[in-house]
Amino acid sequence: MKLINRYVNEVGKNLPLLKGREDIEKELRSTLEDMLEERAQKAGRPADEAMEIELLKEYGSPQKVAMSYNPQPYLIGPRIFPTFLFVLKIVIPIVVIVLLVLTGIRAVTDSPFMGADFVKIIGNGLAGIVSAAITAAGYIVVIFAILERVLPDSEIDDLRTDTDWNPAELANEPDPDSVKRGDLIAEIAFTFVGLAILNLYPEILGMSFFSDGDFFFVPMFSDIFLKFIPWINAVFLAEIVLDIFLLRNAVWTTTTRAAKVIIEGASLALAIVFVRTTDLIGFTAESFANSPFTPEQAEKFVNIANISITIGMIVVVIIISIELIKAVIGLVRSLNRK
Amino acid sequence: MANTESLENVVLELRRGVIVLAALSQLSTEQYGYSLLKQLSDQGLEVDQGTLYPLLRRLETQGLLESVWKLEEARPRRYYIISAEGKKILPKLKKEWADIVSVMKKLLA
Repeated sequence: MKLINRYVNEVGKNLPLLKGREDIEKELRSTLEDMLEERAQKAGRPADEAMEIELLKEYGSPQKVAMSYNPQPYLIGPRIFPTFLFVLKIVIPIVVIVLLVLTGIRAVTDSPFMGADFVKIIGNGLAGIVSAAITAAGYIVVIFAILERVLPDSEIDDLRTDTDWNPAELANEPDPDSVKRGDLIAEIAFTFVGLAILNLYPEILGMSFFSDGDFFFVPMFSDIFLKFIPWINAVFLAEIVLDIFLLRNAVWTTTTRAAKVIIEGASLALAIVFVRTTDLIGFTAESFANSPFTPEQAEKFVNIANISITIGMIVVVIIISIELIKAVIGLVRSLNRK
Repeated sequence: MANTESLENVVLELRRGVIVLAALSQLSTEQYGYSLLKQLSDQGLEVDQGTLYPLLRRLETQGLLESVWKLEEARPRRYYIISAEGKKILPKLKKEWADIVSVMKKLLA
């Protein structure tokens, strides 16, 4: 019986903190002794350790037996899980947005908006955001795990967000032809900023630094790239015109969808040309001749910059390709609905 | 392998639903857990100990069973018997079961 006692003790250790633990242990011991006695009778010999081992193995591990008495085998149960998700979806974006804004403010005020300090502030900010989001999620999990265990059922029902809902308040089915004004306004704004920078302030695209009291600027793009600016302007302007037209009319038509396909196609063609054209980048080892970089450092930096910009352009090609596919699908569906 | 596992899970769920009714139906006379387990097994319903004992405790918490410790054969045993509340709901559960059987017979015919 020594093994049975040890087994019961082990089950007891793993039982959840509920009243009646001693009762459960007593009942388990009694049952195991009944079962052992029955086996001994069937075998026609007194119970021995081998018989005990066989019985306990069949009964299952102490952890498994203890878990079967656990009324709550989960951290956050199904009754409050939707509320937990609801809170998580509100809190995490707020934490991320607030910290993003603070990081942005720090990047603008505490650094010259370029160089190692700028990268350090952005890197620390992003690491802080990830860490804060995980911490916030952890606190919410702990709070809900405690609520799950201490709140009576009636109060948990009050917490539920799915009990009081009205089918009439369900969102309308989205109209496939309606335009998303927010997206259009954002697109117009960003395209306009892109146009302004490319045409009015191309000097801010590059690397600036002070060395020995002198100011140096190395442009990011070469003269070859600048020759493409009229083409970029044409595509950007077409995009802005289409977006303004869509904002006014509020719905997509077959014509505007076709125009979108043409513009996205032109953007893709331009982006592919950029990827395939060499010497678009203005950073060369020579251009850094007067910089604080040593020739080796300048070469390394130019290599990294060229690779980064090429990767960036490939990402742009992928994004525009996806947009083009979406535009084509939209056009085909629009034609099919007619 | 996956199919066998799925089948076992479904059978387990089916059985889990009827164990409450089976246990209540057999506890008009008092019985301790292991004797109830054997009685159910003798009549063809195999129930895992890990399912039955926690279930008996739950039914007692819900007021459908009562229990008392008795010292027998130099060993304490906890005897369970259906409570007054349990006796009230047992006929309703039986009717519910009969209705389910009737519907399922039609569905599976």
